[in-house]
Amino acid sequence: MAVMTQTASPDPVQPASGGDRIARFFREYYIYFVLVAVVVLLSVANLDKFDLFERGNFLNQNNIINILRVSAPLLTLAGAFTLLMVSGYIDLSVGSAMSLSAVIYALLAINGVPFLPAFALTVVAGAGLGAINGFLVVRLRITPVIATLITLSLYKGLALLLVQDGVSAIKSGGGLKMPSWFNTYGRVGTFLELPAAFWVAVIVTVILIVAQNRTLLGKYAAATGGNPTAAKLSGINTGAIVFLLYVIVGMTAALAGIARSSFMSLGDPLSGDGMELTAILVVLLGGTAFSGGEGRVIKSFIGALIIMALTVGMLTLVPAYFQTLVLGAALLAAAASNHLVSRKESRS
Amino acid sequence: MTVSTATEATARPGRRLSDEAFITSLVAAVAVGLFIVASVAVPNFFQPLSMLNLITNNWAVISLGVGVSFLLVSGNFDLSVGGIVALSGVLAVWFAQAPDGANALSTGFGFPTWLAIVCAMAGALAVGGLNALFVVALRVPSIIVTLGAMMVARGIAQVITQGSQRNTNLPDDFGVLGNLTMFGTSVKLPVVLMIVLVLVAVFIEKKTVFGRLTYWIGANPVAARLSGINNALHLTRLYLFSAAIAGAVGILLASEFKSGFSNRGTLMEFDALVISLLGGIAITGGFGSVIGMVFGALILAVVTSAATGMVLSPDWQFILKAIAVFLAIVTQTWALARRNR
Repeated sequence: MAVMTQTASPDPVQPASGGDRIARFFREYYIYFVLVAVVVLLSVANLDKFDLFERGNFLNQNNIINILRVSAPLLTLAGAFTLLMVSGYIDLSVGSAMSLSAVIYALLAINGVPFLPAFALTVVAGAGLGAINGFLVVRLRITPVIATLITLSLYKGLALLLVQDGVSAIKSGGGLKMPSWFNTYGRVGTFLELPAAFWVAVIVTVILIVAQNRTLLGKYAAATGGNPTAAKLSGINTGAIVFLLYVIVGMTAALAGIARSSFMSLGDPLSGDGMELTAILVVLLGGTAFSGGEGRVIKSFIGALIIMALTVGMLTLVPAYFQTLVLGAALLAAAASNHLVSRKESRS
Repeated sequence: MTVSTATEATARPGRRLSDEAFITSLVAAVAVGLFIVASVAVPNFFQPLSMLNLITNNWAVISLGVGVSFLLVSGNFDLSVGGIVALSGVLAVWFAQAPDGANALSTGFGFPTWLAIVCAMAGALAVGGLNALFVVALRVPSIIVTLGAMMVARGIAQVITQGSQRNTNLPDDFGVLGNLTMFGTSVKLPVVLMIVLVLVAVFIEKKTVFGRLTYWIGANPVAARLSGINNALHLTRLYLFSAAIAGAVGILLASEFKSGFSNRGTLMEFDALVISLLGGIAITGGFGSVIGMVFGALILAVVTSAATGMVLSPDWQFILKAIAVFLAIVTQTWALARRNR
């Protein structure tokens, strides 16, 4: 998958002309312009009906808080998913892993396990799910797409089985009651009126940014994605790197599941459905090459903000059934523009 | 990259079976073996009607599997077929609905049924063209393109049906195609069409230049291009072929239920991929066969219906699918490695 790509690093020998510099600047920072453009567009779209900060308009404080709250799962996932794709691998099972974690977390909570142990156990379970992916890909050498398609089906089946027949999700009822603290984590504002789940997403992202920029993990991931053979020959244990990245993705999927489950106050075995597509979308939107080698955690984070702002903000303009079409078109556009840019760079 | 032995599928002289025929027989043997085990172990499994159902219940996925198999053999994914099934069905219904409905969802264009079908097929082919454009001309990886195209196709279907379905105000002859029974039996037209499609596909695969070129491109795209094969044109045709099958499946399903439902065909693209993999088609390209895919579908059908017969909850199907694909991939890799040692 990653064999054909060249790492697109700017050539230091060639003197950059003015036009080149502008192009490079735009390529480096376009994602922030897109974010600003989306926010501005959504803010002015309803100005005929509401004032700029009035309730009902995009920039209303409650609306922003709400968007950031529901974004927590995607924001948590985006960074780790980026590193995995930078190393040239993919995980289609994140949606199912997220659903399964949500169910596990809700089951633990409803059976009387306190917050911290339930939280920790779920994250450990998520690491286990990631380790299974890593094992299939690294040890059994099954193609990543197929391996994670297998676990997509497996985790989804497990999540559905953990929920009793005839009930759609883990929730209060049948003699068991969801504890009152359950939705605090994903819903109740702590700092700046934003819930803990959002701040956990920020902390995870900061850790991963540091890991990408300041530690060997980031360099090794890029090397593995850019040219796996060269990486292996220069002594990098690419198998271990990839395995570790799958485990990290599994852990963030668990965190995302906890956030979603807490926000909805139930353990829904379908809550993560389609998350793998959204994750791929935001990572590609952030400029990560699908074939690996390059990509930035922070840009995927911004990409996730853009997609969440779009999907939530769109609801005031068009009916909800436009969502799939818009996301699909965005996915195609992001994939195509990415690919054209990296092809141009590798040619010059 | 992985399952690498599968691509070294050159039959050594003096061997009676090629690797491909070997894997296909292996898959067929597993299908028959599972069938016998299920007949013995599961009560009420061994009945003529339930055996017939193994095929007839799966006509849609097997038909889709034909197009998906050809693309996999050429080294490309097609995960858009489920979306196309929804889109073409919704389009056919929309074009056929009378223009004087009581509300937006019961108002269509009032086209005669045949014209509605032609228009729906055009919509399906447009999605196939979109796939080809992005994969061939822009060289974007096919898995991303076809997932995006799946979302776009399903998204358009959802917009047309406002997120639900259109099923009123349809002409009577719209429901004929999908419900026509054949030869005085309960077998419906779509099942017969599926069998014809499989036979034609096997012929194309084994006996035509077109079929062999597909393998060549899948085995080594660069060598194929350097030997003067027009890869781009070939892949475009394959994507249109697959989209046409998916479009026809969508129209037949819409006709069978007399409704265009925007969520129809959900996960069918994954099922089509799963049966192709079970049937021994290598994801790396250049290896596999349509016959294998059909046996792969039989394996999945036997496993899931046996599970239902043993009164397992339907939720088990996802786990069974996962285990079946896992075992198939591992045993096929192992068997080929052992054979070519």
